[in-house]
Amino acid sequence: MAADTSSDDRGLRKGKWAPYGLLSPGILWLVLFFLVPVMILVRTALSSKASRFANPEFSWQFSNFTSAFTDYGPQFARSFLFAGIATVSAILIGYPLAYWIATQGGRWKNLLIGLVVVPFFTSYLIRTIAWTSLLKDNGVILNTIHAIPFVPQDFRLLATPAGVIGGLTYNFLSFMILPIYVSLEKIDFRLTEAAADLYGTPWQAFKKVVLPLSMPGVFAGSLLVFIPAAGDYLNNRYLGSPKTSMIGTVVQDKFLVQFDYPVAAALSLVLMAIITTMVLIYSKFLGTEGLAV
Amino acid sequence: MTKRRISTPSPTSQADLSRRKFLGTSGLALGGLALGPALLAACSSDSSGGDASSGDNELWFENWTLYIDKPEGELYGKGGTLDSFQKASGQKIKYTEGINDNNEYFAKIQPLLSQDKPIGPDIIALTFWMAGRLTNLGWVEKLPLDKIPNSANLIESLTKPPSDPTGEYSLPWQAGMAGIAYNKSVTGRALTSVNDLFDPAFKGKIGMLLEMRDTIGLIAMSLGIDLATPTFEKFQPAFDKLQEGVDSGQIRQFTGNDYVDDLEQGSFAACIGWSGDVVQLSASNPDIGFSIPESGGTLWFDTMQIPVGASNVEGAAEWMNYVYDPVNAAKITAEVQYISPVQGVQEELRKMGGDAAALADSQLVFPDASTLATLQSWGNLDEEEEALFDAEFAKITGA
Repeated sequence: MAADTSSDDRGLRKGKWAPYGLLSPGILWLVLFFLVPVMILVRTALSSKASRFANPEFSWQFSNFTSAFTDYGPQFARSFLFAGIATVSAILIGYPLAYWIATQGGRWKNLLIGLVVVPFFTSYLIRTIAWTSLLKDNGVILNTIHAIPFVPQDFRLLATPAGVIGGLTYNFLSFMILPIYVSLEKIDFRLTEAAADLYGTPWQAFKKVVLPLSMPGVFAGSLLVFIPAAGDYLNNRYLGSPKTSMIGTVVQDKFLVQFDYPVAAALSLVLMAIITTMVLIYSKFLGTEGLAV
Repeated sequence: MTKRRISTPSPTSQADLSRRKFLGTSGLALGGLALGPALLAACSSDSSGGDASSGDNELWFENWTLYIDKPEGELYGKGGTLDSFQKASGQKIKYTEGINDNNEYFAKIQPLLSQDKPIGPDIIALTFWMAGRLTNLGWVEKLPLDKIPNSANLIESLTKPPSDPTGEYSLPWQAGMAGIAYNKSVTGRALTSVNDLFDPAFKGKIGMLLEMRDTIGLIAMSLGIDLATPTFEKFQPAFDKLQEGVDSGQIRQFTGNDYVDDLEQGSFAACIGWSGDVVQLSASNPDIGFSIPESGGTLWFDTMQIPVGASNVEGAAEWMNYVYDPVNAAKITAEVQYISPVQGVQEELRKMGGDAAALADSQLVFPDASTLATLQSWGNLDEEEEALFDAEFAKITGA
């Protein structure tokens, strides 16, 4: 045992094995729960089925990808559009809130951040279904809106794109607030005083000092909101209509109703590929150097 | 009717959670977890916690949620069906509520049954069309009908359905009807025809079921297409009509059992719905109505089947025989409020008195002969036809 320790020490000094040893649980986890499933997914996406209820057989069936690309354009487009709008809305709602908690929260900070997380104590599904009660056609919210002059009689929120986007924004909002809060919390706000000393207006100080410093949080939050939102199907299921269906709806139906595992797998891979590309472009554009949130 | 069911932490105003309602929500939730057949297979054996092979040849019945009586909320509660069966037969029974959705359950058992491996339960209770699929695939055992003499008590129209023409592979558990459910406070009148659902006055306020057979079935019947021998070609007009309804914005949404909330909240003026739900709903809200359209409604039922490789066929037969005794069947009906396949349940309910006796007069639980005559059940769809139906329906619902 003692000998082992000393050899380990030497290893550590030489920096040879220790990093791998420390990484191994993480690597093992990634291999088991990420790499292997993705490989199964790739394999399924390239399979075909002898009959509807047979198990998929690997056969280099590239046509699954063509059909994934060509048949579901509108659903893909909607997924990214809705997720994009939800992400921007989450920034617009989440940033001021995080800013306020970080700067004005004082000794209530932890409590306030705790409150942000409170909705997570309820199941995602239940929260979404609760929205159907809130937004129902003759509910309080809709009746109030209808009291405004010139609102069309058939105006509604449920079963509309606005309903789905609202649901997505609400459900993933905390994922935006938390990272932004963390990056704002780290900022030394004496920097804004320094900016004022240099004749900067509060707005300039925010734009040139605080905002750039909090960008890593915005970046992380955007990914945390956009990625799950793009693949989501529950919000459309309860708050949407056949005309607002997203790609998650298709994948779910292909897997569980139509038993078309190959095309479902191909769709999932295409979704992953598009999201990865978008994230890469986004990180190039926004930069991730300061992402040590 | 007073509510006798256990209330649930649902956000909906209805405290009751019927089996189909549970299907609608939790099926979806679980569906989200169902990443693939392998994963599903991996969790198929532990869906209920208990040990499948506990030695002394226990009988295992896997059923839908809230689909049997539970004295004081206890599945094996004293005087309940399960408890009485164990006492009467000496056969130990394990009852699990592992079925949330036909397709989801199929995805779970398919990897095992396609390799001739036993799935665990001795009896499963899938809906007739799924039962027909299992029969076609050769994944269920022939029932030992000679050991189920009480099957003579069954209502004739519920045996030997098109999905099992010889009646050798499935026996009914409970049945129900799909028809038109409406909220009078929104519609202002009772609806009696499928065409009412396409009335422009209700634009954007009409719901349809995600259950393809009920939605397409009702529309097809209104177009004079009969359901006994379905082919995709024959049903094309029904799909076209549905598509038009979606395109024009007439149809607001496709739902599972959650239509109940939309209907009660007035977001739906009317929709296609299931009789069992409306029995419960109209009890608390007199505005909610249900009608079997003039062109007829669909009759669905869940059936008991013995999957291949089941270890206790004998016990399964004993159980089926037991629940086809009207006295025992009435106990189940009093709780689940669906149509019982057993003759004589109505009289037994009257004898029980109270709420049960009131149930005996419900048209939705005991439809009269003239109503029954307008109902139709779906014939079997072969694999390829069914794939066409499912794909077309998915396209219309946006999936």
